[in-house]
Amino acid sequence: MRVLYRVTFHPQGRGVEVPNGTTLLEAAAAAGVELASVCGGEGICGRCRLIIRRGRVETGPTLLLSPEEVKEGYVLACQSRVRGDVVVEVPPESRVERAVRVDLDAQVFLAREAEARAPFELVPLARKLFLRIPRPTLEDNVGDQERVFREVRRRIEAPILQAGLKVLRALPRVLRENDWKVTVTVARRGGTVELLQVEPGDRSGEAYGVVLDVGTSTVVAHLVDLVTGRTLDAEAKYNSQRTLGEEVTRRIIASERQGVERLQALVAEDINDLISLMVERQRIRLSDVVAVLCAGNTAMTHFLLGLPPKALRRHPYVAAALAPPPVRAAEVGIKINPRGLLYVMPGIGGWVGGDITAGILASGIHRVEEPVLFVDIGTNGEIVLGCRDWLVACSASAGPAFEGAGVTCGMRASRGAIMRVAFTSEGVRYEVVGDGPPQGLCGSGLIDAIAGMFQAGYIDRSGRLQPDRPRVVERRGELAFVLVPGEEGGREIMITQRDIENVLRAKAAIYAGISILLREMGLAVEDVARIYIAGAFGSHLDPRNAVMLGLVPDVPPGRIRFLGNTSLAGAKLALLSGDALDEAQGIAERVTYYDLISCPYYYDEFVAAKFLPHTDLSRFPTMTKALGLGEPV
Amino acid sequence: MPIEIPDVRESFSQAIYTVTLGATRDGGGTRTKVVTVGGEKALPFHHFEGEIPHPPVVAMEVWDVPPEDWPDPVRMPFADVMGSLGEWARKCVEEHGADLICLRLVGCDPNGEDRSPEEAAAAVKEVLTSVGVPLIVWGCGNPEKDNEVFPVVGEAAAGENCLLGTITQDNYKTLVAVATAYKHKLIAESPVDINIAKQVNILAMDAGYPLEDLVIYPSTGALGYGIEYVYSIMERARLAGLGGDKLMAQPILCDIGREVWGVKEARAPREEQPEWGDAELRGPLWEATTAYMYLLAGADILVMRHPEAVRAAKRAIRMLMGEEQ
Repeated sequence: MRVLYRVTFHPQGRGVEVPNGTTLLEAAAAAGVELASVCGGEGICGRCRLIIRRGRVETGPTLLLSPEEVKEGYVLACQSRVRGDVVVEVPPESRVERAVRVDLDAQVFLAREAEARAPFELVPLARKLFLRIPRPTLEDNVGDQERVFREVRRRIEAPILQAGLKVLRALPRVLRENDWKVTVTVARRGGTVELLQVEPGDRSGEAYGVVLDVGTSTVVAHLVDLVTGRTLDAEAKYNSQRTLGEEVTRRIIASERQGVERLQALVAEDINDLISLMVERQRIRLSDVVAVLCAGNTAMTHFLLGLPPKALRRHPYVAAALAPPPVRAAEVGIKINPRGLLYVMPGIGGWVGGDITAGILASGIHRVEEPVLFVDIGTNGEIVLGCRDWLVACSASAGPAFEGAGVTCGMRASRGAIMRVAFTSEGVRYEVVGDGPPQGLCGSGLIDAIAGMFQAGYIDRSGRLQPDRPRVVERRGELAFVLVPGEEGGREIMITQRDIENVLRAKAAIYAGISILLREMGLAVEDVARIYIAGAFGSHLDPRNAVMLGLVPDVPPGRIRFLGNTSLAGAKLALLSGDALDEAQGIAERVTYYDLISCPYYYDEFVAAKFLPHTDLSRFPTMTKALGLGEPV
Repeated sequence: MPIEIPDVRESFSQAIYTVTLGATRDGGGTRTKVVTVGGEKALPFHHFEGEIPHPPVVAMEVWDVPPEDWPDPVRMPFADVMGSLGEWARKCVEEHGADLICLRLVGCDPNGEDRSPEEAAAAVKEVLTSVGVPLIVWGCGNPEKDNEVFPVVGEAAAGENCLLGTITQDNYKTLVAVATAYKHKLIAESPVDINIAKQVNILAMDAGYPLEDLVIYPSTGALGYGIEYVYSIMERARLAGLGGDKLMAQPILCDIGREVWGVKEARAPREEQPEWGDAELRGPLWEATTAYMYLLAGADILVMRHPEAVRAAKRAIRMLMGEEQ
């Protein structure tokens, strides 16, 4: 028997040799073919569907494929072991779309960027200074290092300046060969300024940085010009750690079994992919990228730095470090200038990370007078309530429904995603990201669809589909609402009973978190001046539908503002201004973490919030009136 | 100086809904007696705070098929009549003073005898012709089957103003339609969760059913088996109802017999647990004590099995109502 077999993936046309018995999911990863997988290869999610075109695999029985599909050659990649050379086809629904709509994300915040940046002076964490250094004389014969430092201190405030041995060894030659006209790169490292490198001549215009939002599902990167502060490019991809599990806890377990190094390598590779794409497109030198700033939840930050995350998932949920110091980017495998630095946005606690610190910084809620509610919807829904005098945060485990996972036709806000749905007298209308046929539904589309189905009477207040209605059909033994019939030139897009339940659970967790924070702080909904919603919803989120669903409290739509990806926006502020990073540190230290799980009435609030819009209609007076549900009782 | 004792009596803004079960000839039915529950304006038996116009009542359980899992102490008192539904019901009413009969359609269960809706309707008719008290009809618990059975049963009992159950969050539409069409009352079931109790009521209301025709069944736990959880849920529901929440202002039903006779403290024969004492006494005591707890928690209808437990519960009700010392 042969030991190695060849697996070829179409339409990518990529092949790989793998040992006998390897799963197709592992083979796909080895071939660099990304497959949709939510459960991390446990055969639960049914996402990694492949069609066997030629050859032999050994596959177990599964309920996630219909008998017809099995006849057509469908298998689940994670449940199929290679037993010979095989050729497989990756059907569209199993492909992972590379381009996430980051540009839209950026646009949402762009409108507010000037406002958010206003309080901070443009003093990037790393920058290049062109120096014309006076030649040494007998009267002035200090060392080369001291001579450079003196010039640097004339330009910037740097009481403590340090240079590495490598820089010093090259220094005398570079200075003298270039007629004492050199460009130095300096970077903030805590209270110290480090001289990162010395280059010949004037290269002060070529300084770039990258900000990262390392999310559980998605890694988003923006390339920033450190001289002008402008954003030059944006790129995103799915976090490759997803193959080890969709949720944070699963990944921590994976890191305990396989070593955190594996997760670190995966995310570093993702980051390198994104950076190299942007750098090539913008025709800049990789060595001119001198700083990276990363915002992410605490677990993601641990993975990136290779910190052991073991204590994070165990009571009392302690991080190895909440505000890790700047480190050499190369040390964690990020390929930029070899001496370039990696900064990490300080986190608040084990379950509220630097992405939320960044969100507070970007939304400015730590400066306002009246309390504001900030909700960042991701795999966990983080909620911050507060103003300039106090800030409280909690994390509600919503699950990934709003990110499109755990939902039959769910997807992220990328090309082909239905991002807007409207129920009109002429029928159901929808809007798709990019051109072409719809491939699935993203979070905002789901919110619109379920709110619309509720108003149009397709579901009752507990979210149950009404079997006697048109568009409501039975699929694989459960009721489903057909949003896009298959014959319209593509995939049938439906929302099943279970999908609705997942979304209702997610919204109930977030609403319960909001209502508990308000109650614990002794505030009523009317006391909240604004509600800010952040998250990967692309460019759109209908505030009215968010209220209709009962995701956020019933306030006039004008008081709800959608901010897009605030994690990235805050990271950018910090990269471009040391003051902003200091302020972020201050924010992280000021926020009080409230543990929802130990709240004695959490479950009560959660169950009450699972209804549409809520069990207690008196909390949703506007919606009650709009729906004609009668007087709240 | 005499100490002034403050008046700490509470008064509430809303009374619990009054629900009348059964209908006499004048009311379009054939009952010789109707039963009215609810109407309280105070917490259970707080006569000093508000009126309690209707005492709690006891319904006794009969099955459409002779039960196999009832242990001897509770089976023996009915051993002679279990073969005849009508006689069984008559014994409950005439000998043991049942205020209502609770007919459980166990025989319809698809995993059991899978009896037809028509057979169920015949069982209902048999009970109706045998006794004059109002009737509770409890489905087999299989949602699909209940949805087949109740339209036929509801029609067969049209005009009799029965209490049908149960509707749940997952299955309420058919039963709501049946109860609306044939004018019956409904039991709204929830799994020891006040929010879900409320949600079931909302669903029934949204489907067009009047809130004042519902009876809440918040699930029941036997003594020693989570009774305190149910107790506090009932207490909260009642406080909300009295406080003005119309969604929680329904009378409450407790399914005592079924729960009690499922636990080992009531079931175990003396040979198995010699130190627990006489099983003939232990089981009924367990049922009576459980019933007593639920009376104090606010139960309006108790569904029970053992004649001695029923006697004890009824005596407790009379005492708590001040009718007997």
